[in-house]
Amino acid sequence: MGLFWKSIKMSLIVSAICVVIAYPIAYFLALGTSKRKYTLLLLIIVPFFTSFLLRVAAWKFILGDQGLINSFFYSTGLRADEHPIPQLLYSQFTVMLVLGYVWIPFVALPIFVSLENLDRRLLEAASDLGASRWQAFRRVTLPLSLPGVVAAFVFIFIPTIGEYVTPSLVGGNKGFMFGNAIQDLFGPGFDWTTGAVLSMFLFGAVLFFTLVFARFLSMRQLST
Amino acid sequence: MSDIAVSKNGLRSLKAFFGLLVVFLYAPLLVLFVFSFNDDSTIRFPLQGFTTQWYQDFLANPELTGSLRTSAIIAAIASTVAVLLGILASLVLVRRRFFGKSGVTAFLLSPLVIPYVVFGIALLILFKTVDVFLDQWIGVTIGLSIWTVAIGHVVIFLPYAILVLAPRIERIDERLEEAARDLGATGLRTFRSITLPLIVPAVLSSFLISFTFSFDEFAVANFVVGDQVTFPIYLYSQLRFPTLLPQAIAVAVVVFVASLGIVILAEVGRRFLERRLDVESEGSTLVPGAA
Repeated sequence: MGLFWKSIKMSLIVSAICVVIAYPIAYFLALGTSKRKYTLLLLIIVPFFTSFLLRVAAWKFILGDQGLINSFFYSTGLRADEHPIPQLLYSQFTVMLVLGYVWIPFVALPIFVSLENLDRRLLEAASDLGASRWQAFRRVTLPLSLPGVVAAFVFIFIPTIGEYVTPSLVGGNKGFMFGNAIQDLFGPGFDWTTGAVLSMFLFGAVLFFTLVFARFLSMRQLST
Repeated sequence: MSDIAVSKNGLRSLKAFFGLLVVFLYAPLLVLFVFSFNDDSTIRFPLQGFTTQWYQDFLANPELTGSLRTSAIIAAIASTVAVLLGILASLVLVRRRFFGKSGVTAFLLSPLVIPYVVFGIALLILFKTVDVFLDQWIGVTIGLSIWTVAIGHVVIFLPYAILVLAPRIERIDERLEEAARDLGATGLRTFRSITLPLIVPAVLSSFLISFTFSFDEFAVANFVVGDQVTFPIYLYSQLRFPTLLPQAIAVAVVVFVASLGIVILAEVGRRFLERRLDVESEGSTLVPGAA
């Protein structure tokens, strides 16, 4: 059960951070640039269409004991050889970093769409009525783009909570997630009944969270 | 227009932030690219020198080329079926009104919100149960094979096909189809001569999207593949217990570049064709009797 909450916590943190990072990116693409916005968007999304395993693996080679970062420290003498930085690979942090890396392109998309569909005359009206940029953003742009934000959040939360591939490659013991526990029971553990129960439990949790977010979304729409 | 949304300084910092993200997204890929040319059979720094050996070797590695073929077959089957079903489903969802439509839509798109691990397990249990049942009644079993993976992929990628196809069908002028029927065309004939040509770009692009995703899919395939080896499964085992890892990376780089090219071509081609088709279909409705 502790593992379940740990996984939920990790997924929520990853989703939240991704949304926070992706929002300014989407904002920049939708409202900041004019001509090349689709080219730039494609630039962000292209990595999403490339091998998932490979993108995870790349981090192994960057963060590993003989990876990019550690060998940089060895060669500059900042760390003695054979003494890699602890926790760089095989930790909760690594799993969250890599999950974030893998999903960010996908998160930017729904936010971009919601900002792109924003009626710009509303912003003009706000500034005509004397609103500062910050006020216009807080009272007009942000509330109107919230559906995109929630969609983005759900779209990253669902795949990350059920993730077992990334933790098994870069997580080690500490980055073990609920999905790994399930996968174990269907592989080496060979206890299908327990595994099925756990996966139904996970599915129920995902449904619950999705419904909560959807509910939150429709309530926001009703109140505005 | 942009000055209401962002100040000059704001724009500058957003631009810098965007640049940082692009570096963050592409730097790890660059590392892989470098390693695929590195003259060292384990993946580690410092680099040992340039070689194209891995690119030459993988062609002679039957396990690796076999896994590529398996993945290509699965992707071809899965994306063909997913797109065909996607066309049928989108046509019904867009053109017909029926009881429980929103429920059916939600059901068809629901694989988007099912974690892969749950779906993979559900499929595995389903196939096993069906096998037990078949074994008892007619004494045959299906077993786990590339077919079971393909079935799983059809379910996963059908929503993507619908999401690409349905908006396109929505934009077709319904009067074109009505006109065809008025002129005596059967439903099938109308579809073949009017609807299909207009959705060809979306069909192609959904096919390519499904194909690339299916080729790369690991999490679900891992449960239902049995003893077959797809390319992602080969890659995964190499990543866990590296024996010929640089070869696998070299292939992955090739796949990467190929899928990159396909995705960009598909997107650019779709935009181009759709714009042309829109102009054509608008033109034909503007000039009645021109056809």
